[in-house]
Amino acid sequence: MLAANPLNSSSLVFPILECFHIAGFAVAIGTVAIVDFRLLDLGLRDQTPAQLSGGTSLWMLGGLIVAVFSGLLLFSTDPDMYYLNWSFLIKMVCLVLAVVFNYTIHAKVVASSASPGAYRLVAWISLALWISIIFGGIFIASVRSGLG
Amino acid sequence: MILPVLQWVQNVGVFSDLRSSAYVYSVILALHLSAISLFAGMILVTDLRLLGWTLNRYPIAGVVDRLRVLKRIGFILAASCGFLLFCSKAEEYFYNPFFRMKLILFALVALHALVFRGSVYNRALELDLAPRVPTRAKVAAWLSLAIWIGILIAGRAIGYVPGRSGMHYL
Repeated sequence: MLAANPLNSSSLVFPILECFHIAGFAVAIGTVAIVDFRLLDLGLRDQTPAQLSGGTSLWMLGGLIVAVFSGLLLFSTDPDMYYLNWSFLIKMVCLVLAVVFNYTIHAKVVASSASPGAYRLVAWISLALWISIIFGGIFIASVRSGLG
Repeated sequence: MILPVLQWVQNVGVFSDLRSSAYVYSVILALHLSAISLFAGMILVTDLRLLGWTLNRYPIAGVVDRLRVLKRIGFILAASCGFLLFCSKAEEYFYNPFFRMKLILFALVALHALVFRGSVYNRALELDLAPRVPTRAKVAAWLSLAIWIGILIAGRAIGYVPGRSGMHYL
């Protein structure tokens, strides 16, 4: 042990970080979902997908930053466990895919007037990617308790 | 009187199966959080619009009305998953102080709706016509954000109270 992680000195730190983590990803995924629902012709149909994305993208980025930074701190409390946890690894792959997809193909299609079919496909891929991150996160605990 | 009912509920086949299957339990929990995320986005956008922090160029009425149905669906999804989780360990949840806190906060959600539905949410057109968003609408938005954040914290804390069959989930 080179140095003790100060985050492990109090049992309250982990749950508090988790609350920030959950609030952060709820804001990020929730605001992406507003745009995705619009691509599916649901919800805020008075605005174009581009207008909705313009109005929510900063909130989305803010939520994402809070979720990622609280996540890094959570990771630092027990890195070996996370690194060896297959659900965590899947979660990281999904996270990278979701973020890359969001700022490339998703952004492009949202800004364009693509066909309804393209809109729908992109919306479903986006929702599936973001929600798979949540599943990956929850399953870290079940894998950890020896059920994996 | 309530305790025998809770014990009976958690011993119904489906719910005791749910309790003993870590994978099915985790799937329901993940669905619960997914529904919460989708629901949270809609709550957030509605409240932020009332506060004037997003989609300012567009009428409040459009945002409130267009999200109403989806918001209800999201809430029903999240609540249904939550109800299943509750039924699998009904007795433990009953004794869990954070679960009780969460229920009280849900009562506040109902109270919030009772107070502000008539004066804010069902009068969105009026809010748009006013020169600036009235204070009562901003109070409604702040209270909504505060209550939902409280629910999130209480919900997470439930898992940290050691129950008779050990911790729920870390």
